Amino acid sequence: MKRRTATCLALSIVMLAGCREKPAVVVTETRALSSRDGQVKLFATSDERFGRTRRSPVAGDTPAGWTVAPANEFRLLNYRCGASGTGEVWVSSASGTLADNVNRWLRQFGAPALDEAGIQALRRVPILGSSGVWVEAEGEYVGGMGASPKAGCGLAGVIAEMDGQLLTVKMVAPAAEVRAEIPALEAFVKSLHPLAAAQ
Amino acid sequence: MEQANPPAATKPRISLAARLLAWLSGLGLATVLLLLIGLLTWLATLEQIDSGLYHTLRKYFDWRAWYIIPEIGGTTVLLPLPGGYWVCALLALNLTLGGLLRWRRDWQRVGVFIAHMGIIYLLVAGAVAHHFSQRGHMRIADGATSNTAEDYFEHVVEVAEIKDGKPDVIQVIGGQYLTDLTGSASRSVSLSKMPIKLEFSGWLRNAEPTPVDENTSLAGATACDGYYLMPKPDKVEAEANTPGCVVQVDLGEGGKPETFLLSSAALEPVTLRHGERIFTMVLRKRLWLMPFAVRLDKFTANFHPGTMKPSKFVSEITRIEDGRQAKAVIQMNEPMRYANLTFYQASYDQLGQGPTAKMASVLEVVSNPADKWPQYSLYVVAFGLLVHFVAKLAGFILARSRHNPHV
Repeated sequence: MKRRTATCLALSIVMLAGCREKPAVVVTETRALSSRDGQVKLFATSDERFGRTRRSPVAGDTPAGWTVAPANEFRLLNYRCGASGTGEVWVSSASGTLADNVNRWLRQFGAPALDEAGIQALRRVPILGSSGVWVEAEGEYVGGMGASPKAGCGLAGVIAEMDGQLLTVKMVAPAAEVRAEIPALEAFVKSLHPLAAAQ
Repeated sequence: MEQANPPAATKPRISLAARLLAWLSGLGLATVLLLLIGLLTWLATLEQIDSGLYHTLRKYFDWRAWYIIPEIGGTTVLLPLPGGYWVCALLALNLTLGGLLRWRRDWQRVGVFIAHMGIIYLLVAGAVAHHFSQRGHMRIADGATSNTAEDYFEHVVEVAEIKDGKPDVIQVIGGQYLTDLTGSASRSVSLSKMPIKLEFSGWLRNAEPTPVDENTSLAGATACDGYYLMPKPDKVEAEANTPGCVVQVDLGEGGKPETFLLSSAALEPVTLRHGERIFTMVLRKRLWLMPFAVRLDKFTANFHPGTMKPSKFVSEITRIEDGRQAKAVIQMNEPMRYANLTFYQASYDQLGQGPTAKMASVLEVVSNPADKWPQYSLYVVAFGLLVHFVAKLAGFILARSRHNPHV
């Protein structure tokens, strides 16, 4: 008797589960043509659809704790880092000389500019089969583009000259977070590789 | 001799229904409800600074919000309060019952009764607007013509059959079929006019299409053609969110279903081929066709000196309907009302960049059956108060003349 009851119960559960159909709908709503409907671009690629005409020529391994943020016109690769969630790391190409860019970064933190000897004295780190200068600073960060100053910030990054162009990897975050993230940043810089070679 | 106790005076027994009715129509309840409306409005004003207007209005005043727990400056205030919609509904009931039951049939008080009815009319106007109004915006460049407004919040998927490079038939999958598809939920959708079966999933209220090659952990997200949808926090201005979802398309030709990412941030549609037929699919805000077209003849934007605070936005437009043209001017606080639609001057925009950039006027388009009701209700209230004042004045003069017949 007990077994029969249990069998009936199990069958009922199976039948009820079977009755739970996936929600499906037939849509009949249509819309008339409007002034917004004109020629459409057909067979657009995903890059065209999502407005990305330039892919980063380099890629790197995202360190644990960093999150990828969308790239944009100025940032080939873009990440968020740090416990506060306000830290940023980005890879971009730059114009000007290496000295111009080192001093631009230092100026953003109110640090004194370096002369040629000072730049030569900066630590060099390997990047993409070459080497770049490692720059660090702390203080009030004035990022430009009308951004308001942020106190207690830190900077760590690399500027490298390659094939007549400058590639920069820059981290800006609260100073303590930058200090904590330096090993991750170094590992990230080391992991950078040309994208074509990776594919 | 024993003196018998006088029988205790028996109070007439009041039924529960009568007590409930007395409470519902009482001045005490009206006072509490008015205070609650004031409190809710104040709290909502504070909360919308962080949460945005749309979310706050929905949280405090939507009919589905039975109660609310305020959150001011990111801190939860442990003070559950009734939802604003239901406070107003109860106030309307209180005023109606108060007017019907408690109004002393006295000609001197007829003005108060009229004012009561005016306030009820105002509350009803609010409810009608809440349930039946529709809002969108129309963006028109200088010299351009548009017959389309765009909803502020609802996103839909449009599938269009393309003929000669242009949409021919457009089917619309409403937001109600998409917005609940969070987590692992999915929904199959067939289209009545097209041989396409769709399966939607992974709805994200705000997301950005992000290339996969820059990412090492997708955390369960679906990647398609080198992209995935990266979830982003909600924007304070909810209309600025760019939602996205995953759609699997079955064209029913025995082929394998294809998967695409849909994003309202996409610049171009997904293209599908079914034999010789071509279809496109986009996720966009719902488009709303007007019964007439609007041409922007001239747009003027003036700002207070040294600020971006507008002092005057004026759109000089031509309304085009069945070949007939009519000129109109829309400016701040001076909307155009026509065909049950109201066009407000909302803001301005710039289309394009550089020397070829054009100014565009942004008009808010509202369809609200109770559009003028608040104005009429205020007339009713003002008339009621006037009647009350005249009645009181007449009573006062009559009473004085009775007491001092020689005056």
